[in-house]
Amino acid sequence: MPRTTRLTGCGVSRRDMIRIGAGGVGFGLLGGIGPVPFVLNRASLEAAAQQSNKILVVFEWFGGNDGLNTIVPYGDPMYYKHRPTIGIKERDLLKIDAQFGWHKSMRGMKQLYDQGKVAIVQGVGYDQPSFSHFTSVSFWHTAAPNSGNEYGWLGRTASALDPTGTRGNMIVNISDSQTLAVKGENHVPLVFIDPTRFQRGVFAQEKAALDALGAPHEPVGDAHKYVLEVTRSAAQASELVRAAWSQYRGKDNPDLRLLDLDKVAALIEADFPTKLYYVPLRNSLFDTHVNQASPHDRQLEYCADAVAGFFQEMERIGRADEVVMYIHSEFGRRVPENTSLGTDHGTAQVNFVIGNGVKGGLYGTPPSLTNLVLGDNLETTTDFRQVYATLIEGWLGADAAKVLGQKFETLKIFRA
Amino acid sequence: MATRIGWSPGPANWKDDLAPIASADWNYDRAAHLLAHAGFGGAPADIQKLADLGLERAVRSLVHYESIPNPKMQPFVESGLWDSTLNGFPESRPEATDRALKSGASMGVDVKPTGNRPVQAVSDRFFYWLRATMLETRRLGYWWANRMAQTSHPLEQKMALLWHGHFATHENKVRDYRKMMQQIDLFERGATGNLRDLTVKVAQNPAMLYFLDAQYNVKGAPNENFAREVMELFTMGVGNYSESDVRECARAFTGWYFDNLAFKVNPEKHDGAAKTFLGRTGNFDGVDVIEIIFEQPVTAEYLAAKIYRFLVRDELSPDLRKKLGAVLRASNFDVKPLLTVILSSKDFYSQASYGGHIKGPVEHLITMMKHLGVDEVPGVPDFNQSTIAMGQHLLNPPSVAGWAGGKAWITPGLLIARGNVAREVLVPDMTGFRDWNFVAGSDGVLGSRLRDGYDIGAATAVSDPSRMSTFDMVALERDEQFNTRISGYIGWQQAARKLIPTPRHAARFDLSQMVLQGEAKTTGEAVDYLLWRMLRVPTAKATRDALVEFLTRELGTDDIGRAATYMEDALRMTVHLIMSTPEYQLA
Repeated sequence: MPRTTRLTGCGVSRRDMIRIGAGGVGFGLLGGIGPVPFVLNRASLEAAAQQSNKILVVFEWFGGNDGLNTIVPYGDPMYYKHRPTIGIKERDLLKIDAQFGWHKSMRGMKQLYDQGKVAIVQGVGYDQPSFSHFTSVSFWHTAAPNSGNEYGWLGRTASALDPTGTRGNMIVNISDSQTLAVKGENHVPLVFIDPTRFQRGVFAQEKAALDALGAPHEPVGDAHKYVLEVTRSAAQASELVRAAWSQYRGKDNPDLRLLDLDKVAALIEADFPTKLYYVPLRNSLFDTHVNQASPHDRQLEYCADAVAGFFQEMERIGRADEVVMYIHSEFGRRVPENTSLGTDHGTAQVNFVIGNGVKGGLYGTPPSLTNLVLGDNLETTTDFRQVYATLIEGWLGADAAKVLGQKFETLKIFRA
Repeated sequence: MATRIGWSPGPANWKDDLAPIASADWNYDRAAHLLAHAGFGGAPADIQKLADLGLERAVRSLVHYESIPNPKMQPFVESGLWDSTLNGFPESRPEATDRALKSGASMGVDVKPTGNRPVQAVSDRFFYWLRATMLETRRLGYWWANRMAQTSHPLEQKMALLWHGHFATHENKVRDYRKMMQQIDLFERGATGNLRDLTVKVAQNPAMLYFLDAQYNVKGAPNENFAREVMELFTMGVGNYSESDVRECARAFTGWYFDNLAFKVNPEKHDGAAKTFLGRTGNFDGVDVIEIIFEQPVTAEYLAAKIYRFLVRDELSPDLRKKLGAVLRASNFDVKPLLTVILSSKDFYSQASYGGHIKGPVEHLITMMKHLGVDEVPGVPDFNQSTIAMGQHLLNPPSVAGWAGGKAWITPGLLIARGNVAREVLVPDMTGFRDWNFVAGSDGVLGSRLRDGYDIGAATAVSDPSRMSTFDMVALERDEQFNTRISGYIGWQQAARKLIPTPRHAARFDLSQMVLQGEAKTTGEAVDYLLWRMLRVPTAKATRDALVEFLTRELGTDDIGRAATYMEDALRMTVHLIMSTPEYQLA
C-alpha cells in the first residue's frame, strides 16, 4: 500500500511534522544520534525536505562468495574444465542467456531479475588483491585498497550528503560491532544487532538513577557535548529501535526469512530518517573451502530469499521505489576447484545492485576463464570503487570523487 | 584528610600557549589532570605524590622514568605453542597442503602412506597454529594490560599503546603472537625515544614486514604496500608526496625481509640503482628514504599532532600544530622534550584540554582499575572480550590505519557497552562466566558430533546428522585428501591442551573501606568522594543527587557508619552508575 502523504525526505511523515509543529519533540522519531540537535529547527527541516528519500542498503556477504557458482558462465566449456565436480550443471541453472545462469537456489533474486530490477556486475575487484578475509574486507570498507583510511566509505558518503552532521540517524549498522565501512567523521552510526537487547545491563533498583545520567548539563567542551548527546540519544535510540521492532508487522509473517534485513525493514516502516544501512551477513557459510555444494546452495538460498522478501516488504510498506540494495563480498574464489570439493580464496567477484530504480541486466566484462591471473584467479575488470561511485553519484546524488578521493567511471545502471 | 581541590581548569586564554604554567598554578587537581592524560589516572595517593613534587619534577618523573624502579614488570610466560617446524608458516591452507603433497611433509608433519585423508594431519597442523597464535595473543594482550595497570612508568605504557595504534599491524594477518610480542617490546623501548629511530625499527620489524608484504617487494617487481603506508599513515599524511615517490620508495625497500624473528636484507633482491625520491636522487635504501622523510617539515607536524591528539585533546588549531612540530623538529625527533613541553604547558591545563579527551577502551579499562584501587586486571570479565565490546581489540587494530580514536570511540552501542563492562567489573557474573578460550563455537559443534560417534563426513555436514538417514550419511563419507572443517576443531583442541589457562578471578577491591577512608559520614559525602576520586569532569547536579538518592534508598539510611557492614553491593552499583555517566568517558 503506497504512502501518499509523505511530506518531506528523511522519513519525516505527516504525524511527525504535526508533532514538531505543536512544539513538543521530547520523544520523537527525529531524535538525533550523536552530534545532532534534538530539536530540529525550521531551517534544518526545510533542508531535510530538499533531500531525496533515497535509501541505500548494503548487504555484505562476508566469507568470500564464489561468484562463478552464483552467476554461472555455463556457456564457457572452460568453466566445467576448472570445475568438473562442483560446477553447476546446465540443467540446474536458472538461465539468463546462452552464456550465464543463476545458481539454482537463487529463485528469489532471479524473480527480481526477471522483473528488470537486478543489475549484475561481474569481474569486480581491485589491483594487487589481498587473499585475507580481514585485509580485503578492510579495503572494501575503507574503499582504500592496499592503503588505509580511518573512516569508512559510507561514513564518508554521509559526510558528503550532510557535511554539517545535522541529520540524525543517518547511518544504521545492523551488527554486533561497528563495521569499519560506516565509521564517519560527522555522523554517529546507530549500531545494533538485536533490538530486544540494545539496552543497558542494569539491576532493577538502578533504573531510576540511570535515567538521571543524561540529565541536562552545561558541557565543558566539544568532547563532553558529544558524549552527553550520545548518552541521551543512546537511550532514545534504543527505545526507538525497540518500539520500531515491536510495531514491525513483517515479523509476524512466517513465510518471510529476511536474515538481518528484517531490522532494516522495521526501521524503514517506522519512518527512520536513515539513508544508509549496512548489514554484514552473520555466520556466513560462504567460505566454502570444503564440500562446497551443500553450504553454498544453502547460503545462496537464504540470501536470495531474504533479498526477495525484503523487497516484498518494501512494496507492502510503500517504499520500494526509494530503496536500492547493494550486495558484495570481500573477494571471489579460486577458479579451479580444490581436492576437498571446494574453492579457495580468490579475486574478482560478482556484485548485485537491486531496486525499482535499477535497469536490470548484466554489467561489467565477465573475466576470462582462460587467461587466469595470480595463480588460477579471475582478472578484475571493474574496480569496486566504480560501483561505489555509481551508487554514491547515480543513486544518492553525492560527489563520489570527494568520497573516494578520485574520480571513477560510473556504470549506467539507474533509470533516469 | 586534606582539603579536596575540585575541578580547576586553567583560563580559556591558556589555549594554544605552550609556555609552562607558573609553579603557583600547580595543585592537586592539575596533578590529577596530568596523570589522567600522561598515564591511566590513579588513586588519590598517587596524585598527591605528583602534586607534592611540584610541576617540573612531576612532569620529569613521568617523562624521564628510566631511573624509577619498575618491580612489577614480568616477562610474558609463553605456553610453548611454537616450534621451529612452524617457521615459514604457509600463507594459506592450500599452500600448506600443496607443500605436503609435493614434498611428503609440511610444518613437520608427514603425509600418511595409505588410507583416507592422508594429508589430514597437515591440515590439522595448519589450523593448530592459527588457533594457537590467536589464543596466545589473547593472553599476550591481557599480559600487556596488566603491565599498563602495574607499571611505575605510566607514560611509557601510554605511548607504547599510541605507537601500537599508529604503526598498526594485526595478529589476524601476522598470525604469530611472537612477532606481536616483539612489537610490544619495540613500542615500550621506543615509547619516548627518537621517532626516526623508531620508524626505522618498525620498518625492520618482522610483524610489519609481513603485514605490509615485504616478502613481495623485490627488485624488478616492487610492492608498494609498505612504501605507501610509511608516508601516508606513519610519517607525513596523504597529499605530501607523489605516486612516483611511492614507487621509488618501494624500490628503496626492496630486498628487506625477515627470517623467523630476525630482520634480513637480501642484496640480490635489493634494487641498488638510483632513485629520485621527494626531490632527491641517490642509491637510496630503506634507511635513507626514512632519513629523507624526516627531513620534510610536514613530518614533524604530522607526528607531533598525532601525539598531541592521543594525549591531550581531539581538536587542535593549525597554529598549535605548527608550534608542536617546531618543538619536535628542534629536538631532532626526540619525543621527551616535546612531551615535557606539552605536559607543562598552559595549553595542557587550559579549559579546552580539561575533559577534551575521550578515553580509548583499553585506557578506559585500565583507568577503571586505578580508580578502584585494583592492581591486577581481573580474569572475569575477560579483558579482551570487554575491550572488544567497547570497540578496541588489542593487537588486532581494524586496519593499517589503526583506531580512529576521538569521537569514533563512542557510538550509542559502544557507550552502552562501556556501562555494561563497568557492571561486569563491579558485579562480575562469577557463576555464569564461561572461558571463551575453551569454547570453540561452530568448531565445537563438530567436536560434539565426533564424540557422539559420527564419522567425519557426517559430522561436517551442515545439517544436524541426528536428523539424517544412514543412507545420506554414507553418501557424505568419501575419499578426500583432508577435511579442513574438522581441522578447525582438532587444531583448537590441540592448542587448548597446551595453552596456559588465564586466571579467572574477580577484581579485588573494597569500596566500603574506600569511602570510610575517604571520611564519608553520609551517603552524600560518599557519593561526592567517589565522584571526586573517579571523574575528571563534574557531573550534573541532578545526576549527583540521583546517585545520593539511590544510595540512601539502598542502604535504608543516609548514615554511612550505620550501613558500614552491608554497604558494599550498593556502593558497587553506585560506582557502576558513575562509570556509566557521560563524564566518566572523558579525561
